[in-house]
Amino acid sequence: MFLVHLWNYIRGYVIIIAKGGGIERFINICTRRQILLWDIARKDSNSVVMKASLRGFMLMRPAARKSGCRVRIIKKCGLPFFLHRFRKRRGFKVGLFFFAALITLFTSMIWEIEIRGCSRDVAEQIMKVLDDQDIGKGSFKMGIDPNRIAADILLNVDDVAWAGVQIQGVKMTISVQNIIPRPEVVDEDQYCNLVAERDGLITKIEVLAGTLKVKEGDTVTKGQLLVSGRLESQYPEFGTRNVHALGKITARTWYDIKVPLSYEYTKRIRTGRTHENTYIRVLNMKIGLFGNRNAFDLYDSVSYDRTVSGPFNSEFPIGLTVEKQYEVTEKKVKLTTEEAEALALKNARLALSKELSPDCRVLDERVNILKSETGDTCLELILECEEDIAGKEPLGGD
Amino acid sequence: MKRVKKGSDKGEKSDRSILSIGEKLAKLFELPPDLFGNRPKVTAVGRGEVLIENFKGIMDFEEGMVRINTNNGVIKITGSGITIREITSEAIIIGGKISNIDYDA
Repeated sequence: MFLVHLWNYIRGYVIIIAKGGGIERFINICTRRQILLWDIARKDSNSVVMKASLRGFMLMRPAARKSGCRVRIIKKCGLPFFLHRFRKRRGFKVGLFFFAALITLFTSMIWEIEIRGCSRDVAEQIMKVLDDQDIGKGSFKMGIDPNRIAADILLNVDDVAWAGVQIQGVKMTISVQNIIPRPEVVDEDQYCNLVAERDGLITKIEVLAGTLKVKEGDTVTKGQLLVSGRLESQYPEFGTRNVHALGKITARTWYDIKVPLSYEYTKRIRTGRTHENTYIRVLNMKIGLFGNRNAFDLYDSVSYDRTVSGPFNSEFPIGLTVEKQYEVTEKKVKLTTEEAEALALKNARLALSKELSPDCRVLDERVNILKSETGDTCLELILECEEDIAGKEPLGGD
Repeated sequence: MKRVKKGSDKGEKSDRSILSIGEKLAKLFELPPDLFGNRPKVTAVGRGEVLIENFKGIMDFEEGMVRINTNNGVIKITGSGITIREITSEAIIIGGKISNIDYDA
């Protein structure tokens, strides 16, 4: 029944009032002429209210004349009459057109890119490949060939065995399969020596192949031969044989750094005055709002993003970026000797930690305060470490 | 003359009999009787709606009363707030709070 009502609404219908004596006759004639009538109700002794389709109303005139009824429209209902009201409104039509155009425009763009099946580094490389081709959020789907993107990813990104690109609606999904790295194979035919990679005092020796040239407790300098890949025979008539020297030479090494002490330190102090700048972010564009400025000469700024999130974990490419500026004043602070030393030590440790090789173990730490003739004071930090200093060097000659 | 007499004779006979030939056949083969003939079929579900199929036309439509002409005579339906929900050449649906469905009214 609901469907019938809906259909009637879409086609449009009229509520009419029929007056006169032969209303029953009128209804019978209408019925015989296939004019659909519904919701017929008696209003008073000589009038009846009913509903009829538009087509039915057109065919009703002869029936009314025949039965001596007078038919009058009370109300016009349905979609055609509803739309008729907007016929003269140009803004409405323009709006409708713009709405359709915007829907078409926005659904032909890519709004989301998902990369799966790989680590963050690989994903960044893939993003770079996409950037090189100007593909990103907001680019049109029309000019994008998924097969070409997949081919480009395979060409430009290492460690990818397979790449698939799918565009579903406004979402682009890139799935990749990582290559399992090839295990490192020691090529036994590649003859080599082991040499010291840095100065040190040898503490432990493990040799798997080759002739040992040093012993525990020796001090070695950088580049010194530790294990030779040339095997000498006990009897000179047998000659020598070359091998791929293998081994682990653990040695104690020292790292040192000198940092000048300074008793003055500029401290940035927040004054407590803040200013907020707000930007609207659409895709990658930032649109500054009215009233954005750099309020202070010296300031620290902290900015954070807010993204509008949609349903199903999706993010819309629009959001707000709020930048908060804190006014600061710079103040020179005199440090005591202890404070200056602590600061220098912190800096020295930070600088040295970049130099240390990843497998080394720090055993001891020494701090010296040195004074030069000119009166400057230096802090020296010495780290004593233990690490494997053996490095490969191809065997020359034959 | 003879033929006319015979024809009228036959007409009289079928008028008098309650069942038409189609209905007799239907009864013989145990088919539903509403498949044949043009007898009215009155369906009432609850008391808010009555559906009448195989009707000839409406005779009277007053406040609280509607009379419908069928091949089996006139059916009168009374009640309060009687409306004709829908009317086509095959069926008529009468709505409202129905209190009586009278035959031979």
